[in-house]
Amino acid sequence: MRKLTDVGVAIVAGCCALISVGLLVGLVAVIAARGAPALSWSFFTGQIRLVGAAGGIFWNLVGTLILLVTACAACTPLAVGIALLERVWLTGERRRSWLRTALYAMNGLPSVLFGLFGFILFVQWLGWGKSWLAGGLVLALSMLPTVTLALIERLRAIPARYVEAAAAAGLNRAQIVWAVLLPQARGGLITGTLLGLARAAGETAPIMFTATIFAGATFPTAIRDSPVLSLPYHIFILAQDSFDPAVGTRLWGAALVLLGLVFSLSLLALPGRLKQHEEAHG
Amino acid sequence: MRSSIWLLALFAAPLLAGAETLRINGSTTVNLPVAEAAEILRAEQKLDIQVDTQGGSAGGISMLGDGLVQIGMASKHVSDDDRAKYPAVRFYEIQIGEDAVALIVSRDVWEGGVKAVTRQQMKDIYEGRITNWEALGGKSQRIAFFNKEPGRGTWEVFVHWLYGNAKAAPQVNFPEVGGNEETRNKVASTRGALSQLSASWADGQKVFALGLKLDAGTVIEPTNANIATRKYPLSRPLFLLTRGEPEGIAKIFVDFILGERGQELVRKHGYLRLKDLK
Amino acid sequence: MTRALSWFLSLLALGALGLMLGIFTWQSGPVWQAEGIGYLTGGRWFFRQHQFGALPMIYGSVVVSLVALFLAAPIGLGAAVFTAEYLPPRARMPVKTLIELLAGIPSVVYGLLGILLLRDWVYERFARFDPLSGDTLLTAGVLLAVMILPTIVTLGDDALRAVPAAQRRAARALGLLRAESILHVVLPQARRGLGAALLLATGRALGETVAVFLVVGRQDNNLPSPWYSLRPLLESGQMLTTKLGGAETHIAWSDPVHWAAIVGLGLILLALTGALALFGAAFGRRSDA
Repeated sequence: MRKLTDVGVAIVAGCCALISVGLLVGLVAVIAARGAPALSWSFFTGQIRLVGAAGGIFWNLVGTLILLVTACAACTPLAVGIALLERVWLTGERRRSWLRTALYAMNGLPSVLFGLFGFILFVQWLGWGKSWLAGGLVLALSMLPTVTLALIERLRAIPARYVEAAAAAGLNRAQIVWAVLLPQARGGLITGTLLGLARAAGETAPIMFTATIFAGATFPTAIRDSPVLSLPYHIFILAQDSFDPAVGTRLWGAALVLLGLVFSLSLLALPGRLKQHEEAHG
Repeated sequence: MRSSIWLLALFAAPLLAGAETLRINGSTTVNLPVAEAAEILRAEQKLDIQVDTQGGSAGGISMLGDGLVQIGMASKHVSDDDRAKYPAVRFYEIQIGEDAVALIVSRDVWEGGVKAVTRQQMKDIYEGRITNWEALGGKSQRIAFFNKEPGRGTWEVFVHWLYGNAKAAPQVNFPEVGGNEETRNKVASTRGALSQLSASWADGQKVFALGLKLDAGTVIEPTNANIATRKYPLSRPLFLLTRGEPEGIAKIFVDFILGERGQELVRKHGYLRLKDLK
Repeated sequence: MTRALSWFLSLLALGALGLMLGIFTWQSGPVWQAEGIGYLTGGRWFFRQHQFGALPMIYGSVVVSLVALFLAAPIGLGAAVFTAEYLPPRARMPVKTLIELLAGIPSVVYGLLGILLLRDWVYERFARFDPLSGDTLLTAGVLLAVMILPTIVTLGDDALRAVPAAQRRAARALGLLRAESILHVVLPQARRGLGAALLLATGRALGETVAVFLVVGRQDNNLPSPWYSLRPLLESGQMLTTKLGGAETHIAWSDPVHWAAIVGLGLILLALTGALALFGAAFGRRSDA
């Protein structure tokens, strides 16, 4: 009887794992199979024509890239600032705990709320209209908790003796930050940023209120009224027209490219995470 | 930290340049010829034109009123309410063609024998008194009515026909569809489906346009002839809207659409050109 | 200098968060005035008549998330047990990496899969219940279940691994078989972490917008009658997020009460997801603070 339970649990757990992995790998396989035919040099370098029935996704990729770079540039200093505050400058565990709690709460907020916030603040109040900068800032906000928490983890993992040695050598706290903590944490920052970017690359809701349109935008030349194209929004709009066979393959192709982008960013973060894992458990 | 500054400098450079950009937003119906016209002008005259379809006709009007775009696309007139919302704006309607709203059904309804509907029947369906196609002579199947989102020009034409104006329309609860694309897709893939769609999008293969049965018993189909002569009551003009008379790049665009090639695009996408109207 | 900079940047970031909360609260003021508590409990949303009751949307969001949780939790937790307890150490990293990759599939891609594959499947499968179409709350729930599945597996795996190896060794030393050690030693100890994982996954489901937008039907005022009826699952519905992502948000700006009602939905969503995230964090808090 006990043996039966033992085998039974193993089988059930194994089946669950098989279903989970199989289902998701299957979905990716469907996208790959349907989207691969659309991939070609001209798909990547051409622009959209005939409302998606022809042409390529070049400007969509450019737009997504612009948004991601902006988000990264805005998010990094903020994340570093908060992480340093938590690890170095805040005294008292209670305050640190409050800060972390705020970050956890922010991490759970849906991205559509950031989009709504950006719409009110940037598009309407500041009068920017649809703007790449608004989109980048909104994405930076939604990425912030991910990057900050990853950075805090990394800072926490720096061996205490490094800090002690530096303090013994006479460095004050600010100097320790620049000489020891930041250089050591650089890997964690990159890892966290890549993870945050992977998530941000696929976001549609925050940018659809603030930064992106379906066709016509190329490279923005100002802040105000300068939208960009983007890959997720492109897919979202065209998904409603899944009726038209000419659009079909291109749509799957765009989805495949987006998937590839997100996966690449995640995989780039992998070596850093493996190293961190080793250091923590080695 | 230094790289952030470097990146900011990189972005500052393009800010110095500044060509005029034409921004257009609005109805998905009007979008078809407009988007193609924009592609042509972009390619031939190197104009910077951005087209989007957020919020349909209402989105076109409100974004024009808010000053976010220079041209709004609408498949309905600018109402008095809209004008009241933006008292400082002089809405200028430029008709570029005509279209009709068809009541479309899925294949199973069409082949089940329902090919026309009266105004009263449509009212009863809309208000929930008729819920099965049997009542209209078809096979027994639940009526799956997809209502257009609020603000869509298509919807306004529809309730105008049923009730006289949008305000008089009762509040109803039906699943919603957005643009023409989503409507066609959902009707085609649902049994017993019914919705409102721009007549030129009803291809007669996956979705089918019902005729309107008048009190006298005659059936008016949404053919081009009937739309041109206004026999088919659900026709609506296609507009480009501007604030005051169009100027500069907006004027170039409007002139193109009203010209020979632009009107050909209108015809190509299934709508009636200005000169087709009687 | 560094310290001042850190404080400045932190306050900037947290200030943005506070600003968001503040704006949402302030801008939704008019609808609270107009409807009072009826905004939350009212079952009718007719914006033209200025009647704003958010209950159907709250119901939609909650029901869809519960369906997703109901479907994904058993499978996800089972898979987590497998990866944490049965996988040989060398296989763990690749499998875990794979699952985390899959957790990163963008929601718009799920939306695409949903509209092209899932809704027809649900429509056919449940045909004998006579659903209106393939766009139902159930469709949305199933789609979200697939979406949160990898999240549950990853977080569940973390929670199980957090139980010290010594516990498992002790159990084996006492003569328990592996399954018994899992069921009677590891799972009870990982209870909090697993609970946190489920809470966080539910929070993610509640906040999804684009994935469900195309398959939920977006029909307002769909409430069950009687209240325990499951019928709305097979009907089209509306969620807080799909209303926000829909057409009304674009046309509401010029009408203060309508706009307040829309922002109010954002506020409700913020409260719900924020609370879930906080509970999840508190629940699973480890002792190495």
